[in-house]
Amino acid sequence: MTFITYKMTKSIALTGAAVGILLMAGCAANKSTKPAAAAGKPAIWPLTLKDPAANESGAQIWAENCMRCHELRSPSQYTPAQWGVIIQYMRLKAGLTGVQAKKVLAFLQSASAH
Amino acid sequence: MTHKRRILISVAAALAIMPVAAAWADPAGGGADYQKLEQKYQLLQKQMATMAKQMSAMQKQQAKLKAAQAKTGATNTKAIDREVKRLYRRVMKDSQKISDLEPGNIQVLIAGDVNFQFQNVQGSHSTFYADSSPMIQVRIDKNIFVNTAFDFYTQAGAAGGSAADIGAANINYELNNNMTLGGGLITSPIGGIVGQYNPAPWNRWLVDGSLEDALLPGNELGVWTRGGLPAPDNMGYFTYFLFVSNGPQLSSTTPTPGYDNLAFGNWNPAAQNGKTVGGRFSYIPIPNIEVGYSFEWARPSADGSINTVNSLINAVDINTYYVNKKIDGLFRFRGGWTWDQVGQGNTSFPNSSPPPNTINTFGLGGMSNGGQLEVAYQPSLCGIKYIDKMMAAFRYDRIDGPASSNFSNGASHEQRYSIGLDYWLHSNAVLKFEYEFDNLSNNLHGDNAMFVQFAVGI
Repeated sequence: MTFITYKMTKSIALTGAAVGILLMAGCAANKSTKPAAAAGKPAIWPLTLKDPAANESGAQIWAENCMRCHELRSPSQYTPAQWGVIIQYMRLKAGLTGVQAKKVLAFLQSASAH
Repeated sequence: MTHKRRILISVAAALAIMPVAAAWADPAGGGADYQKLEQKYQLLQKQMATMAKQMSAMQKQQAKLKAAQAKTGATNTKAIDREVKRLYRRVMKDSQKISDLEPGNIQVLIAGDVNFQFQNVQGSHSTFYADSSPMIQVRIDKNIFVNTAFDFYTQAGAAGGSAADIGAANINYELNNNMTLGGGLITSPIGGIVGQYNPAPWNRWLVDGSLEDALLPGNELGVWTRGGLPAPDNMGYFTYFLFVSNGPQLSSTTPTPGYDNLAFGNWNPAAQNGKTVGGRFSYIPIPNIEVGYSFEWARPSADGSINTVNSLINAVDINTYYVNKKIDGLFRFRGGWTWDQVGQGNTSFPNSSPPPNTINTFGLGGMSNGGQLEVAYQPSLCGIKYIDKMMAAFRYDRIDGPASSNFSNGASHEQRYSIGLDYWLHSNAVLKFEYEFDNLSNNLHGDNAMFVQFAVGI
């Protein structure tokens, strides 16, 4: 019992710290200039993290990441509007960054429309 | 700034202002008929495309100019940089306004899955089973997303008939590129396999669920934050999911010691005020591999009086795939292990059977653990018709009950070996066959089982 209570306290403290850091990261990313954010570089003090997705194509991100959990769905299976809903859902589920999600969506919508 | 650059900037600025001015002068729905609105929208889209080309050309010129100045030693590019940034912000702002004019901003999608199966488990009657789980997904705007999921299924046993359940009802707000906030009912991320990789029958390689699932919460009802973060130095990504939710209950109505007496999903606000704190963190060094750790702490409630008992779940998981012509296809591997601990305590509750007002008391506590290893191979690149759509799967799963107690069947641990053969008719339609060998401790006889299932994701 005692060790669980200790672990509980530790878990809550760590969780709080993590949420705080992430909130700061989020705010910092929001305050950064649009060009930097668009290039996938959220500025998180003291680190500047570069989103690797900034240098990858949407098709590449789609093929490599979606495959991790399920069979790939053909872009032609859904309309561009439907892909908009699906990617919003999958961003949550797979923990994609905004940059990754936007690139995959642009690819799927473009491929779907053609 | 050169004369050419000044002209370029002026043209881009004029193009940036024009569509917005046009849009605000005659807003959508302001009496204009549909055809006019459609024409205006098409025109705005063309103007935006032109503007984007101009911006791209400007940025290229800017890069060239910088390179030239670097050669000559000149460094006065600040004014141009400022102007480009200003124009960029303007373009982004205007494109959002144009996007807002687009009809059908709120988008609704019906998704989910349907499956039916035949199962023959030793010691039970063979039966057909059907399940339909529709999801209603709504994109309110680029930041707000709503998801609702139901589960309708046939019931086995004497009761027969059918039953319904709600699987998800949540609202999510995308705060920025790396964080989403949400609240409601959602699939629990604990253990990874359940939350992310094993959500629907069409996306499972085997029909029957894993023994590890019995130790993991299925859903969380509360608030959360989740998202993805790039790791430093291009070393992949981290994902996180942290939540506060209603705590689980203890299965005090079934005094036979179970796995650890925790009953997730039976949230009863009247039973307790305590909440659960939990989360999952994962690291994705390359897209093919994800490793995760999750935890959940709770002070469970019980139907009757109970002294303070805490519970803690720890779980690790891994998910990988490898696709290559050298192996003629796709190889997948998933694994997970969960440790559940319930603190020592006693609980008592009124006995509902006569005589009234008697009290049942039983002990709680102990550690349960269990896990699974799952592999699958599909020769998708072999080039042989029909064979390329087949997938062979194997799973080993195991569960160990608290040392001081046995399961209701009298065993202290159970392990199974499952083999399966799937045929993928489509990327989201699969026909599956599975045979499960069940082994129990204490020389008890396990219940081997056979399943056939057809599952479709919609």
